Amino acid sequence: MKQLSIMVDLDRCIGCKTCIVACRNHYGLVDHEKSMPGTMSHYLRVESQCTGSYPNLKEDYWVVMCQHCKKPPCIKACEAGAIHKDVQTGIVLIDKNTCVGAKKCIEKCPYEVIQFDAARTYAHKCSLCYDRVIHGQEPVCVEVCLADALSFGEREILLMHADAAGKKVVKKMSTQSILYVKSPG
Amino acid sequence: MHENKWIPTVCYQCKAECAILARVEDGVVREVKGNPRARGKMCVKGMAGITTLYSQERLKKPLLRVGERGEGKFKEIGWDEAMGIMEKKLRELMKRGEGHKFTYSMFPHSTTDPKWRFVNAVGGFISTGLPHCDSAKIMAHLHTFGCFPNHHIAPMYYTVPRGGIMILSGRHPFGCLDDACVPKHILDAKERGAKLIVIDPIFRTEASKADWWIPIKPGGDAALFLGMASHMLKKGIHNKAFCDKWVREGDMEGLAAFLKDKTPEAMSTICEVPAKDIIKLAEMCAKAPSVSIDAFKSIMYGNAMDWGHAWSIFLVITGNLDNPGGQPLPEIAPMAPVKPAPPAPNLKELGYHRTGPNRDKFNHYNFILEPTWYAAQAVKEGNLKVFFASECNPALSEMGSGEWRKAMTMKDKKGDYLLELFVVTEILPSETMKWADLVLPDQTNFERWELLYMPWWYNFGHTAAVCQPVVKPIGESRHANRVMIELGKRMFPEFFAFKDDVEYYDIELSGVGMSMQKMLDGGALWSPGTVGFRKYEDAGKFNTGSGKIELEWRMYADIGQQWPSPELPLEFRRDADTYPFILVNFRTIFLNNTGAWSQNNAQLRDSVSGLDANPLLLNPIDAARLGIANGDTVTVESSTGKVRIPVLFTEKIKPGCAGLIHGFGQTMGKVASRGKWISDNELIADAGSHLDEQDLRGGEAHVSTRVRIVK
Repeated sequence: MKQLSIMVDLDRCIGCKTCIVACRNHYGLVDHEKSMPGTMSHYLRVESQCTGSYPNLKEDYWVVMCQHCKKPPCIKACEAGAIHKDVQTGIVLIDKNTCVGAKKCIEKCPYEVIQFDAARTYAHKCSLCYDRVIHGQEPVCVEVCLADALSFGEREILLMHADAAGKKVVKKMSTQSILYVKSPG
Repeated sequence: MHENKWIPTVCYQCKAECAILARVEDGVVREVKGNPRARGKMCVKGMAGITTLYSQERLKKPLLRVGERGEGKFKEIGWDEAMGIMEKKLRELMKRGEGHKFTYSMFPHSTTDPKWRFVNAVGGFISTGLPHCDSAKIMAHLHTFGCFPNHHIAPMYYTVPRGGIMILSGRHPFGCLDDACVPKHILDAKERGAKLIVIDPIFRTEASKADWWIPIKPGGDAALFLGMASHMLKKGIHNKAFCDKWVREGDMEGLAAFLKDKTPEAMSTICEVPAKDIIKLAEMCAKAPSVSIDAFKSIMYGNAMDWGHAWSIFLVITGNLDNPGGQPLPEIAPMAPVKPAPPAPNLKELGYHRTGPNRDKFNHYNFILEPTWYAAQAVKEGNLKVFFASECNPALSEMGSGEWRKAMTMKDKKGDYLLELFVVTEILPSETMKWADLVLPDQTNFERWELLYMPWWYNFGHTAAVCQPVVKPIGESRHANRVMIELGKRMFPEFFAFKDDVEYYDIELSGVGMSMQKMLDGGALWSPGTVGFRKYEDAGKFNTGSGKIELEWRMYADIGQQWPSPELPLEFRRDADTYPFILVNFRTIFLNNTGAWSQNNAQLRDSVSGLDANPLLLNPIDAARLGIANGDTVTVESSTGKVRIPVLFTEKIKPGCAGLIHGFGQTMGKVASRGKWISDNELIADAGSHLDEQDLRGGEAHVSTRVRIVK
């Protein structure tokens, strides 16, 4: 299977949100002059979970972006045929020129990662930096990650690297193409 | 102007000043990222700097106050008129022989910042916020082993060996304010087998990555480390060879006698860390190849000098000075002086420093700069007449900022303001500018020249970096350095004979065989590439009076402070019945404290990419006792302030503590004024009028505050 992926190392993610802003800058998602909080598109978000009670606590942080699903529900939902999974890379891409702004993909996305440009009436989301990776560059989020918690590559190779580093895949989080790993215990 | 390429420059969304690259396309900054030649990291605040640059709220012309101070009413004026107002008032002040009643609150970007030169020429003092936050650490290290590491100079985590111990005691380095590469370096060190120990009343991201989180009673750090030191000396597991060679004769015996009753059991009752844990950590540290300690918030409490002293002693007895993974002893880059330089006035004789009731006693601890937070008291007492401010926001960021605001509006019998002129340079609308007579539009790091070499030490030793303009300035904005150089040329041409800021930096750089052009040709960075280790071995001495490490501070014998007290700050020991909670204020990576340029940044106040809420954090155990439900709005009251604020329950805070993030409460700016969030400084006492014991034991920042919480 051809599938490019990002691996999120929960041992290293500190939830700093650097990737979110770097991604926004790269894709011009923010009107720096006028945008107000709560109105800006974002291709990533940070989530966290704290378990236990004081003083025995554990907390993990991770980022959620388009999971580039194996069988993307957004593709099925889009009657205009604007979304496809690239055969060469496994990246799920939205063609904004074909998109009619029906928002069906947004309704069906289980990860709530698809954004909508109301002014230009199209859906948009993380493309795994398709235009960068096909020229040998890493996705922006991977390049700027403050904690080096993100790595990019072929999914199977990333799995091999995780195994070599003694990290386990968090299976319930890694059901699609993006991998979440952490050390056991 | 550069086009369509990555240009090396420096970030200034916080004082860490990380080396970055900016991508400019069609004359517009599109992207920024860390400079790979300088460890290549840039944090979320830095990434959001483009929003600051292009915000529609940028101040574009000088503004003159037209209403009363505090009303925030201004009219636009020209630069000539603005310069004339400053020159006239300062000349008048000097004519009266009161040049020392002028202060400029700033963060000097180098030891020879051109603004500092201007202040010296007038005969005034620079005042700062930041270096004072950990002045106790600086002074403690200076007294004990003669070096000057400020809080931007973190332990060099990239040098920590396998098995080394990294202790964060009230310090959140994942929140930056250090170089942006520090979080990665800490995690890398962990991966190669170093241990991360987090001592903190709050479980933050650092604690979530730690091998061991040790919740502590705020202010208990001195007790904890004295307990460990006591155990080590008693068991003989300290680094005896290092101490024999380097500690001043008699000091180890004095230390042993002092520590005799500071047993882990005794210290446990103060810091609330179990004695067995104090012993366990002491024995871990004794066995480890290195131990580094970093602290920030804990060094701002009312017992800061004691904590700094205990910390210094612990580093010495474990032999962790200037070694890989230990405490760096930094050097300052040997820049060339720009001559002739105006002499600095005598701080001790003329400064407004320390106006509290124990002023005479506290003179022992005089720091090298004035702290901004004594300005209010100095204005009230007539010791401060002209106040300039850059890159600071005292209306929010000063402890007891309400007193500061009050002082700005106080008038004499004739109806004139006691503070005769208040000038602020600002990029975006700030709380402080509401009280200013003159607001000068400043430039972001993307529009200005600057030579930076102080906080830069973390990267390969004494290093310099050039901040260069990558786009044309917005409006009529001018960088504060250029404004002060121009004013200097008008008033003191002999001290400002150089052409401009770039030539000034050129002269400085000649000290290391560089020039601005050579720097730019070489990627805007210069460094010898090494910090060196155990430099005292080469020198055969430490930079102290005796040439040895001085554990006993004999110069303080007359006030009984030759050894550090383990006691909590006075503010935490009194009024516990009336104010049962200890306020724990802390920082986050998503927001740059009270700096107007990040408070008013839409990306940093967006809940996805920043932070848009600042509720009071309470442990559910305490909340249940108070009958408070999650989300309730409560009254939080200290001995000097009272606010209403919603509560958020969390298991991540030690019971008995109430947590609040530092950096909210602005009423100016469309973004910054969102929500009814408050500044922690509304609860913290004003320094000038509420000092007592911390005058003797504390550093220059003092945030120790107890509060009560009522539904």
